[in-house]
Formats: sequence, C-alpha cells, structure tokens
Amino acid sequence: MRDWEALVEGHLTGFALEPAESADVIAELAAHLAETCEELRKQGMAEEEAVRRTLSQVEDWKKLTRLIQTARTKENIMTNRVKQFWLPSLLTLLLSMGLLALIQVFGPNPWLVARKSGWSLVAPVAVVYLPWLLSLPVIGAMGAYLSNRAGGSQRAVFSSIVFPVLPYLVFFLAALLVMAIFNKHLAHNIMFGALFVGLFAWVLAPGAALLAGGLLAQFSLSRRLDSRRIVSN
Amino acid sequence: MIGTGIKRGTAELAVLSVLEHGPLHGYEMAHRIEQQTKGALRFTLAALYPMLYRMEQRGWIRGAWETSSSGRRRRCYRITPVGKKRLSPLRREWAELFGALRRLTKVSNA
Repeated sequence: MRDWEALVEGHLTGFALEPAESADVIAELAAHLAETCEELRKQGMAEEEAVRRTLSQVEDWKKLTRLIQTARTKENIMTNRVKQFWLPSLLTLLLSMGLLALIQVFGPNPWLVARKSGWSLVAPVAVVYLPWLLSLPVIGAMGAYLSNRAGGSQRAVFSSIVFPVLPYLVFFLAALLVMAIFNKHLAHNIMFGALFVGLFAWVLAPGAALLAGGLLAQFSLSRRLDSRRIVSN
Repeated sequence: MIGTGIKRGTAELAVLSVLEHGPLHGYEMAHRIEQQTKGALRFTLAALYPMLYRMEQRGWIRGAWETSSSGRRRRCYRITPVGKKRLSPLRREWAELFGALRRLTKVSNA
C-alpha cells in the first residue's frame, strides 16, 4: 500500500505553517489522493496507471504549496471577529468621541436639564449636547452597516451599534457600586440622583439615538437581502 | 466545456451550494460537483484545497476531522451562517450575469 502522506510531504517542501497545521494539510491532501486512486482502481485501472492519473491532479507542487500557504495565512491578519465586531465598534467609538470633543470646543453651549430654584439650577444637572445626540443615529447606522457587510451576527451588529456608550455604562455602574459600598463613610455624600441623571444623559439617551439609526440601517439591509433572495429564487 | 476564468468565479458558488445540503469532505465535494454539473465543473486537488482554505479563513465554511466507519480520517466541511449569508448574493450575481449573457446571445442570434 502506497504511503500517500510521505509522498505529499516530500512534495510540499518549504511550508511556513505551524507543524500541526502543516501535518493537517498533508493528511488531508494525502487522504484525497488515496481516495482518488482507490476509485480509479475500483474502475479496473492498473495500479501504476491509477497512481499516474491521481498524481496528474497536481501539475506544479511548488505552486500548490504557495497557494495553500497564502490561503491559510494571508487573511489571518484580520480575523472575522475583528472585521465583524472590533473594527466597526472602535470606529463608531472613535467617531462619536471625536465629534463630542469637537462639539464641546467649537459647538453651541450644552443644554442643561435640571430643577430651577429662582435663577439658579439645582443639582443634579444633566449636560446634554444636542448636536452630538443628533449625529449619533448616523454613527449607529455606520456601525450596523460595517458589521453587517462583514457578515456579522445579530449580536455583533448590535454590539457595534451601542459600543460608544459602553465605556460610560461601565463608569456609571462602577460608580454606583462604589457609592453603595462607601457612601456611608464619606463626609460629603454623593447623590444617587446625580448618577441616574448622568446615566440617562450619557448612556440611555445616546444609546437610544445610536440604536435608532443602527436598527433602521440593519432593518433596511436585511430587507434588501430578503428582496434579493426573492429575486434569485 | 466552460472556460477557466468563468470556472474560477463559479467555484465558490459551487462549493457553498453543495455544502448547503450537508457536510462533505474534499473528495466527495469534488465528486458531487462534477456529477451535478455533468462534468462541466471539475476540481482537481490543486484547485480545490487552496480555495477551501481561503473560504475557511473567510468564515464561510468550517472544516473538522471525522473518522468514517471504515476508520479513515477525513476533514469534513460544513457551511457556516456567514457562508449561508454569502450564498444568496453570490447566486443573484451569477443569475444576473447568466441572464445578461442569455439576453445578449438571443439578441445576437436574432
């Protein structure tokens, strides 16, 4: 019985893959060749002729080595997780934070939402940057589009949309935890109300704005895909 | 017989289409495609595996080693949700291309 693995290993020289990965490729190609040869033998072909026909499937082993090497390594640079989640998420985060910084420096004064007592505002005060909030649906839609285009799952698309508010959410949750533990021991108590107002102004409202644009984009992309399916069927 | 360039373009569609009906290993896949296309599409080992590995890297298919009842180890490929998502636009693009060619050849034959 012919040792197909030794034969393939002898031909595929200069593989720059991990040893285990290389062994997998050799075993897989050898199994394919062995099966082809067996099939030809079953059809009544003499062994030498069957082997010759089987090996004729590969005209240039060096080229095959190069093609396999490229196929298995080139696209490793950007994995699916990066394309479907990290890239859209970080891009939406970068855009929303950059835009907020620009609006804070060059934009109109923020809208202050609080109870009034005479001429002054009573804490807690919510600081709302309206131009920023209005731009978030576009950023959310961009996150949804990028993740969807890379074949992201529903979860990846959703995470990409709301990613810009996640740092704020983590901050407010951590602050709530710290308050719950240390509030009694502090001379100046932190107001729970302030945290909830902050949570609304920096997490819930921007999150809703991001989702409004993102889900709309996702809905329109899936509808377009459905209509394509109907056309192709 | 279909030319090499067109074949290369249809190869991914052919692989995804046969895997849509269930998992197959490389040899079976090549055999199935050849049978179903009545020999118009033929995959040699040299053409098939670089493409399978590329498609696996893109997350369209997933390969896993399995042992058959005869004790032979084979790497079986399955289509992934990402692959299924890719199949639909691929089908549409090729249907559009062949539709356009059909219309074109009808016009030129008239």
